[in-house]
Amino acid sequence: MVFGMLERQNYLKVKLFLKFSGEVQGRSLAQMSSEFDCLKFLLRWAGQWPLGAASGFTPTLMDYLCLEYGQVIHYEDVKRILGTSQRFFLWAKAIFPVEFQGIRLSWIMNLKTIPERKEVIF
Amino acid sequence: MSETQITSNCRISRNVIIKAPGLLPMLYTPREIAEDLDIPETTLRDWLTHGAPHSRDEWNHIWINGEQFASWVDNHRKSKHKLSQKLKDGEGFCLRCNEIVKIQNAEIHPVRGKLCHLKGKCPKCGGIVNRGVWNVGTAELPQG
Repeated sequence: MVFGMLERQNYLKVKLFLKFSGEVQGRSLAQMSSEFDCLKFLLRWAGQWPLGAASGFTPTLMDYLCLEYGQVIHYEDVKRILGTSQRFFLWAKAIFPVEFQGIRLSWIMNLKTIPERKEVIF
Repeated sequence: MSETQITSNCRISRNVIIKAPGLLPMLYTPREIAEDLDIPETTLRDWLTHGAPHSRDEWNHIWINGEQFASWVDNHRKSKHKLSQKLKDGEGFCLRCNEIVKIQNAEIHPVRGKLCHLKGKCPKCGGIVNRGVWNVGTAELPQG
């Protein structure tokens, strides 16, 4: 793996999730495209590390979005990114239970919650 | 193997120019990048033969770095943009010679409002050359 490159397995899992979104959940192409745009932030956050170890990443996804994109993305977009990421992790935990066993359900459910102190930044 | 040469044979659609910056800094297969850019895989493979950056592994599989590909598209767009130049007064584009020529025996034919056609002959092939002109008062007609 070349330094600075994103983990390919993460990308493949995201693609699989989008396929599930379209075929099982019946999402339209536009919705899937929007979801992919959101999950690109998740992939950039994970970098070259597997998403199965996401609960141990520092900074957290919320902090990463604040630090890297705080000036350029809207508060509503952050909520959308966190919501899509939450759905992705719920799906991934069900499909890849061994790989995502380190990720707790409580961590996933807390992903969408934006602490009140963060709201000032956006 | 890696190629970064830019050739003018590739026609990159506007859709690709818009979507390419969204590519991630990772290695894609041709199929994946074609799906993400919403283009046929054959088109992408054609671009690869015309100088789009890619590499091959020990099994001869093609890998495309998303960031490098995006910058190639951007460079290609910019180089195309540089090639386009405004016609000077009295010049026109000859479709036979496929180049800019000085229009000979130019005549002005009004079309509508301020729009006129500058109609004349190509000095090389003798074919008819037309050029739209907005304001006849400022357009200089070539002598000859």
